[in-house]
Amino acid sequence: MNIRKLLALLFAMALVAAACGSDGDSSSSSAAGEGGGTVDIDAALNADLSACEDAPTGDPIRVGMAMDFSDVVGFVDIPGSNLVPYMAEKINCAGGVNGSPVEVRVAEVGDDAALAAQELLDWGAHFLIGPPFADFALPILQTTDGEVPMFVAASTEPTLADASINSFLVSFDDNLMSGAVAQWALDEGITRAIVFTEGEGVPYTGVNPDAFIAAFEAGGGEVVSTQTYVWAADTDFSAQVNEIAGISENNEIVFSAALGFQVTALRGQLEGQGLDGLVYAGTDALDATGIQFEANNEGIVHTPHTSISAGDRVDTMLASYEADRGEALESRGFMGLYVDSMFLGLQGILDCGCTEPADIGAAVAQIEGFQGLTGEITYAGTNGIPPKAVPINRIVDGEDVLVATIGG
Amino acid sequence: MVELAQNLIDGLGRGSIYALLALGVAVVFGVMHLLNFAHGELITVSGYAAFWAITNGWSWWLVVPLIIVVAVLTSLVIERLAFSRVRGASQFTLLLTSFGVHFVVSAIFLLYVSASVKNFARPAWTTQSTWALGPLQIETFDTVVIVVTILTLIGTNLLLQRTMFGLALRAAAADFDTARLMGVRSDTVIRGAFALSGLLAGIAGVFWLMRAGSTTPSAGIDPMLKGVLAALIGGLGSLRGAVLGGFALGLAEVLLRSWLPGSIAGLTEGFVFALIALLFIFRPQGFVSVAHAERV
Repeated sequence: MNIRKLLALLFAMALVAAACGSDGDSSSSSAAGEGGGTVDIDAALNADLSACEDAPTGDPIRVGMAMDFSDVVGFVDIPGSNLVPYMAEKINCAGGVNGSPVEVRVAEVGDDAALAAQELLDWGAHFLIGPPFADFALPILQTTDGEVPMFVAASTEPTLADASINSFLVSFDDNLMSGAVAQWALDEGITRAIVFTEGEGVPYTGVNPDAFIAAFEAGGGEVVSTQTYVWAADTDFSAQVNEIAGISENNEIVFSAALGFQVTALRGQLEGQGLDGLVYAGTDALDATGIQFEANNEGIVHTPHTSISAGDRVDTMLASYEADRGEALESRGFMGLYVDSMFLGLQGILDCGCTEPADIGAAVAQIEGFQGLTGEITYAGTNGIPPKAVPINRIVDGEDVLVATIGG
Repeated sequence: MVELAQNLIDGLGRGSIYALLALGVAVVFGVMHLLNFAHGELITVSGYAAFWAITNGWSWWLVVPLIIVVAVLTSLVIERLAFSRVRGASQFTLLLTSFGVHFVVSAIFLLYVSASVKNFARPAWTTQSTWALGPLQIETFDTVVIVVTILTLIGTNLLLQRTMFGLALRAAAADFDTARLMGVRSDTVIRGAFALSGLLAGIAGVFWLMRAGSTTPSAGIDPMLKGVLAALIGGLGSLRGAVLGGFALGLAEVLLRSWLPGSIAGLTEGFVFALIALLFIFRPQGFVSVAHAERV
């Protein structure tokens, strides 16, 4: 081979190599630069909006929030959609992500989640944060066609997670949550349970009791009574109480996915029948509806997404929001999930060094040991449900305190 | 047997609240032929008033009259702002207007107050106090609700039978045009009907909110549904029927919840609606027949 042919061959190989590189880079150019790095959560938390670094000048990273502001989940999606843009501002204040600013757009799903999702895709969202219930989350997934990663921030619904279509829970799911309560009860020596459900397999209101029953019985416990009720509506449990009064040994755990005011109403009626030795336990719905502020809440057990204590990272973040924005956010225990959703998406971008949504999704699916505000999050080897530890909180002497952490 | 007796008392307690709600719906229907789907909003607004008052340290002794006053005022304001504009319109328009009021009130609280559940302390006796009657443990709450409802029904009956306003209201319910020809002022009787409806909703709201200990922007939906359903069961436009419908609905809910096997107990609401459908097949007019009056 003469020198001219050798040079030609080398040139051709260089072209091929460049072309291959170009293929990969065409979807990765810009915002995040080269792959690698970790989202600096503490830098964002500690950023002082009155003394920011130079504004990041790279291509923006776009976070789309398709949020449900109705009275069904507005209690979390409204404050969540206030907090995430605020935290994006803090990230930008701290220099952005590898020199790229983070932009957030909120689209209310109203009665057409697909339209809201399309608006965000047209805007160029790199990933989405979606509403917690399937009614709206599923139309969004249909709109993205599984090509854009979506974090269903406040959801525990296992069927919404599917890594193959880039749909991720940020929380533990119903099975982990209610299984953890069953485990806690067994650890406490409680072997009898009374369960309230809306029906086997009913999303959330039935699935959580199903999971509790399965775990409780697998651990050797006995479910002595299963009662039905109407979630978020019933506050008069007379018929159920009359039946329970004839069965109870006054030593059971009463489990449901009911809201706080329902659990305390039920408790009052059961105590009125002389059943004052029961332990009441529930799900994240109790945190969502402010069990901490209910009367007659002493001893009630629940599973918040974040067991917030004074001065911790979530408490600091919420205090910072309140100081800067002049208003406190509600549903405090859920807020970390929204911000973690954004951090996870950003981490995916950093990991792949790309900006193509499908590539970001693939990177997110490989995340391991991410130290988020709500605990350690791993997607690698899962179907999009992080096997997180479940905090077990209990109202003790009027205070909402962490009494156990199950799993993780 | 004891459980049955217990359930009957519980059903009467629950039915009493429904009866008060249904009576409020029936009073307005009588004079305007308006099936008021905004009736539950009186409880939504009262609920937020109760939340505000209790979180500001008011005792329930003050909160009770507050709830009633707020319900009456809200009823009058809704009539003035919404229903007075569509008097004389078709029933369909009235119906849509009432839906509109429901959604607007709900949205106002959602947007300008909070989407979160707002909890407030219930009086302890509403859930924890019982008294024994032989082998029965009767809730003090049920007892109070039943007694207050009976007194309210007696009072309402006296108002309707012994006062000029009552006479005008009954005349308007029977035949509004003729009543006007006889000198009944339409504004007075309609506003009076809304005030009375608000009063009844306020009394029902006191018990509803005492039991719930919370409110949300959509807190009015359930009481609205129960009130409208009970009024329909009783015979739309009949005040007596509304009361009967309320008690029947309360009893049906509690007894079915108790009697249905556990595997289908979750279908209690469905069975209640199936019973209502059966009733309407055999008695489309409800328990009590009402001569059809011309609408306003």
